[in-house]
Amino acid sequence: MTTTQTSRPEAVFVLLLLQSIFWMVAGLSALPFALGGEIHMIGLGVVSLLLALLVCLVGFGVLWRRRWARRTALSLEILCVVGSVLVLLLPIGANRGPVALLVNVALPVAVIWLLWGKRTRALFSRTMN
Amino acid sequence: MYSINPEHAVGVVGGLLALFIALVALRFHPGWRLVPGTVRAASVLMAVSGGVHLALIPHHLASEPLTSLLFLLNGVAFIALAVMFTWRWWRIAAAALLITTVLAYLVYVAIGFEGPDQVGLATKLVEVTALGLALVPVRGEVGRTYRSWRWATLGVAMPLLIVITGATVWIVDLARPDARHVHAGALLQSTNTFPTPQQVDAANRLYAETKAAIQPYTDWHAAYSAGYRPGGSSTLPSTHWMNQRYVDAGYVMDPHRPQGLVYANTHHGPVLLGAMFQMKGLNQFGPDPGGPLTAWHQHENICFTPFGFEFSLMTPFATCPIGAIDISASPMLHVWVVDNPRGGPFAVDIDPSVVTAVDRT
Repeated sequence: MTTTQTSRPEAVFVLLLLQSIFWMVAGLSALPFALGGEIHMIGLGVVSLLLALLVCLVGFGVLWRRRWARRTALSLEILCVVGSVLVLLLPIGANRGPVALLVNVALPVAVIWLLWGKRTRALFSRTMN
Repeated sequence: MYSINPEHAVGVVGGLLALFIALVALRFHPGWRLVPGTVRAASVLMAVSGGVHLALIPHHLASEPLTSLLFLLNGVAFIALAVMFTWRWWRIAAAALLITTVLAYLVYVAIGFEGPDQVGLATKLVEVTALGLALVPVRGEVGRTYRSWRWATLGVAMPLLIVITGATVWIVDLARPDARHVHAGALLQSTNTFPTPQQVDAANRLYAETKAAIQPYTDWHAAYSAGYRPGGSSTLPSTHWMNQRYVDAGYVMDPHRPQGLVYANTHHGPVLLGAMFQMKGLNQFGPDPGGPLTAWHQHENICFTPFGFEFSLMTPFATCPIGAIDISASPMLHVWVVDNPRGGPFAVDIDPSVVTAVDRT
């Protein structure tokens, strides 16, 4: 079980896979409403499913130590944290339960923390192969 | 599913306490630096789950001794495995325990032994994350690593457990809502159970006054002239038309100035179904002259998108489709001026068959 290498990319892969599944569920959840006549929900559902796919692919990129994947993951998660904090702070009655905090704040923050820093950046190659 | 069962709140405290203790104590483990970070993280998360299970024992002890015993076994097993991360069979044991625990929770929820709440869901998320971290192969591992088996288990178990958990919790929550939670995340105002004769009279008065007051709006042009605007797609069976001036003014249950009107979108144009009173602030339920007959409701955890002013429901994992955000709508009370046999004149919703019938006439 011992290893000499860091396992941060593998941990990030697990978290991105989880996030990808959450967005997949969110995308699927929009579709019944689209069937009920809310036509814009089709677009939102499809965009969510595509984002879920993108996050999954970024997860594999991070696993393979690709620089583009690290950058994409960091950008995406920073965007997520900013958006989630805004939604949580605005008086619009958003859910502030443990699940919302884990999924929308703790998970992106953990990904950012795991990918941040010069030592972690050095693990990621420039090449696309 | 969107709130914490007060009896389970102690589980959050137990989990946070276990997190702190694990982060401090596991560093002194002689094998801490020898294992990958993913294993260390999985151990900490299993300690958290153990802490949650152990903290829930006292509450369940009197009423559900078997559940308490299972919590004890589960908690002890999690904490033991959190410490034994250098054991040869640790991954298999951890994966088996984590998968069994998640599935057992779902069985409990499905058969009604446990109501789905935020503590239960959050704990399952922690456990699925721990499962992924325990299984994910890491570069540079030495010895027999069984990488193929671990990838296969990870790739199947994690998505499947999340989807099954979400589906079970959602179906159970929609199929067996508690007394104050009706469909579409609507939270009912707390009232007495049976209406008194005075409350019946008051409800009848409110109905008669409202019906008479909104009579001119049978012609939707009159509503439009008065400032009401459709707040959603006309492809839906019905649409709420809102009067922003009345919303901003904050009139409270004024039959002559209801904040909204509901129209059926029929083939021959909008047909008036009823009025909607709405309070200005969240969690501020309005006056309730008819007791249980005129209970207000507040929609919580709905995903709202400005694209077409459409709504969907937030998932059990607190996510909305991209382009929609989680909001709650301030308390409202409908007064249906058409016959609504299933729910009555103040029901949360109008019977869809009534709207269909209106469309046919």
